[in-house]
Amino acid sequence: MATIPEAQRPKILILATLSGGYAGADSVGQLHTDYPTNTYILPVICPCMFPEEFYLRTFEQGIDGILVMYSGTDSPYRGGPERAAKLINQTYPLMKARGLDTRRLKLTAICTVCTKPFLKEVQQMEALLEGIGYAKAEIAAYAGKENMAN
Amino acid sequence: MPENNELRIGVYTCYCGGNISDVVDCERVAKTLIEFPNVVVSRTDMSMCSDAGQSMIEADIREKGINRVVIGACAPSLHEQTFRGTVTRAGLNPYLYHHVGLREQDSWVHHCDCEGATCKAMRLMLAGVAKARHLDPLEPIRLAAEKHALVIGGGVAGLRSALDIARRGLNVTLIEKSPFLGGRMAQLETLFPTGEDARTGLHGLIQKVIQHPKITLFTQAQLVKMAGYVGDYQVTIEQQSRGVHVEIAEAALTANLPEVPDEFNYGLTRRKIIYRAYPGCYPSTPAVDWKNYNGEPLVINGQPTVLYNEPKTFDLTVGAIVVATGFKPYEPRQGEYGYGEIPEVVTLPQLIRHLALLGDGKPLTWNDHPVRDVALIHCVGSREIEGVHPPHEDGEVNNYCSRVCCTATLHMANELHERFPHLNLYDLYEDIRTYGHGHEQYYRDALENTTRFLRFHGDDRPEVVAAEPGDTHPVLVRINDHLTWGEAMEVPVDLVVLAVGFMPRDVSDLIKLLKISAGTDRFLLERHPKLQPVETAVPGVVLAGTAQGPMTVQESCAAASAAAAKVSSLLGQGQVELEPFVAKVDLEKCDGTGTCMEVCQYEDAIHLETVLIAGQEVRRAVVTPANCSGCGGCVSACPNRAIDVQGWTLTQYEAMIDAFALEPAELVEVMA
Ligand SMILES: Cc1cc2nc3c(=O)[nH]c(=O)nc-3n(C[C@H](O)[C@H](O)[C@H](O)COP(=O)(O)OP(=O)(O)OC[C@H]3O[C@@H](n4cnc5c(N)ncnc54)[C@H](O)[C@@H]3O)c2cc1C
Repeated sequence: MATIPEAQRPKILILATLSGGYAGADSVGQLHTDYPTNTYILPVICPCMFPEEFYLRTFEQGIDGILVMYSGTDSPYRGGPERAAKLINQTYPLMKARGLDTRRLKLTAICTVCTKPFLKEVQQMEALLEGIGYAKAEIAAYAGKENMAN
Repeated sequence: MPENNELRIGVYTCYCGGNISDVVDCERVAKTLIEFPNVVVSRTDMSMCSDAGQSMIEADIREKGINRVVIGACAPSLHEQTFRGTVTRAGLNPYLYHHVGLREQDSWVHHCDCEGATCKAMRLMLAGVAKARHLDPLEPIRLAAEKHALVIGGGVAGLRSALDIARRGLNVTLIEKSPFLGGRMAQLETLFPTGEDARTGLHGLIQKVIQHPKITLFTQAQLVKMAGYVGDYQVTIEQQSRGVHVEIAEAALTANLPEVPDEFNYGLTRRKIIYRAYPGCYPSTPAVDWKNYNGEPLVINGQPTVLYNEPKTFDLTVGAIVVATGFKPYEPRQGEYGYGEIPEVVTLPQLIRHLALLGDGKPLTWNDHPVRDVALIHCVGSREIEGVHPPHEDGEVNNYCSRVCCTATLHMANELHERFPHLNLYDLYEDIRTYGHGHEQYYRDALENTTRFLRFHGDDRPEVVAAEPGDTHPVLVRINDHLTWGEAMEVPVDLVVLAVGFMPRDVSDLIKLLKISAGTDRFLLERHPKLQPVETAVPGVVLAGTAQGPMTVQESCAAASAAAAKVSSLLGQGQVELEPFVAKVDLEKCDGTGTCMEVCQYEDAIHLETVLIAGQEVRRAVVTPANCSGCGGCVSACPNRAIDVQGWTLTQYEAMIDAFALEPAELVEVMA
């Protein structure tokens, strides 16, 4: 079977809106600026489509940090940014209930030319994950503690 | 050929002429990908978008029965459409192809880590394969389109748009809120950067518009209702009465009538409440200023005459709408740089009107006093800084640059110098932004004609104070001049000219009606400045001119022509074709609770319908594709996962995330 000989380090998923963060990530590329390879960007129309369970499942599958780069108040979708923010806020207590550090999930406004903020967000998430490690390990450790307590 | 709906995926990794392959080992990526289930071919090419690259993909589809295509290349924004064409030519549904960005989001940002970039490319391509496994054929949404456009706003942008659309054979209805055409351009005299006379150019355009048989024009008219969707918008227009019959027009203009400040001259003069905006305006029939008419009889032609405003409404069906509602010049606050308190402080638009009224050959005076020294201050109401400048009524500061005013100010400085060579001119600026073709010449000319430049910082703007009694000049301007390392200077002048910026017009009613958005600067927002310029998020509603932000006449016309081109290509065939990325309900999973409807912000996008399932009448959510924006708000709301955005489903996202997160062996298991 094929192997992917990648360095073992926490993985960051970036959900980036087509009208904001995704084009912003392309702008970063056009500048040929460097950032770490453990970052995987997926285009989204508007993050208001993701329910709370979607984020939880993502952590459970082995993604360690999620940056939701939306278009903020410049979003062309009515009520989309507000709904996305609400869903993410509602995800935090569910993360806590699984022992997950809520800083692993962050909503941030990135525009099509926000190259510096894009890099800053990636660097900050990278630094955070270096400190707190893998999400799966965090979930397992918490579940272990819960089992002990029971 | 595939049997039993077998998935046969073709994976193509592009070298992009070295842009990708200099960092990513594309051959290793291709070799790794071929080991995954259903991947039938995995190839590389120096340039997948070349004829040879595209032919290779087409041949695989035809000869190897490839029915899903994943291409890793430059950004999807650049070549997604190209490759949709490729797969379509080979007989495959265009939405059975997925594009992976390997250049901007991999090789170009990981050039110091080739191994990491190669592994990442494998993951990204794997995610493409994972998504491709869940792709369904989609059809663009096709709707019959009315070959008729509504243009809102009769300034230069609206006029240009209307004419361009009509010349392409579509009907146009142009509505203008005020009684006269021309917008702000009619208030200008000579235009930079060409030096041409503003109203001559404008009148040429107006003549072409009024003579065009496909354009119907309504002044004093506004949009009051809108329903429907792209290709088939039902709009209701309300038009105020002109109030004056042509036969009594001239007598009405000379009658003794109440007067109000004339907005055409920015309040410098007064006009009657039956008026023409300016000599030569169109339509030439005078109009009644209903806002200022109190209903009392007016004596016209010796007869007491009561005027009646009887607004008419009428309905139209249009396929698309151009919003060209323009801007308004910033009106400084009371006391800002002495405005409204010191009579010798005026705005640049006011000075333009003052010079026009002054006429040629007369010396420059203000309030009957000769003017010898003039200070022009840039960036008034523009580039404001939060925390330094007080917010406006809506709580915002104007942090944007109004762009046009730098050259407009220098144009004024040069004109003043030319007409009144003995004037002393002081130009107080933060930065000189003569960005456009030919604009810099105005700065050079101003330097040559002895305009004195003084530079301030955004958080340390000049101060304007009334002079003490006995001073030589009525106004004193204080500035810390950063061209001389912050030296405090005092400039006594006879006139201060504030180069005011552009403000968005209050079009909140239109924003609501059309369901379009404004940006943080409060100008109307285009969907994407590079990828979908002049389009809004609402299909078939496009923007033209300064409704969208500060622009010169040239830029307003370019945007207007772009908007017209969008409208013509949209409606020209009598049918509109939209991306199929809209919500779709799985009737089996839907239990008709209507949660999706509750969160949906788009009118008539989802409704409940009674349908027959297994012989039983049940309520189910149904999407009207033309009204759906595809935002997906309903997806997160549905407790049964019964609704998804076609082409962007939750299942596809989950599959892609698995491809990033899981070990290859685990992934193969999941895929199986
Ligand atoms: C001081 C100054 C100097 C300038 N000098 C130059 C120059 O020298 N050269 C140059 O190239 N540019 C110059 N400009 C810029 C120029 O004025 C603009 O680019 C141009 O006027 C923009 O045209 P527009 O059609 O977008 O907007 P507008 O001229 O504002 O027209 C908009 C029209 O829409 C109408 N409208 C608004 N709302 C509605 C509604 N709801 N329904 C129906 N109608 C509506 C308005 O009544 C108006 O007629 C200058 C601007 C200023 C302020």
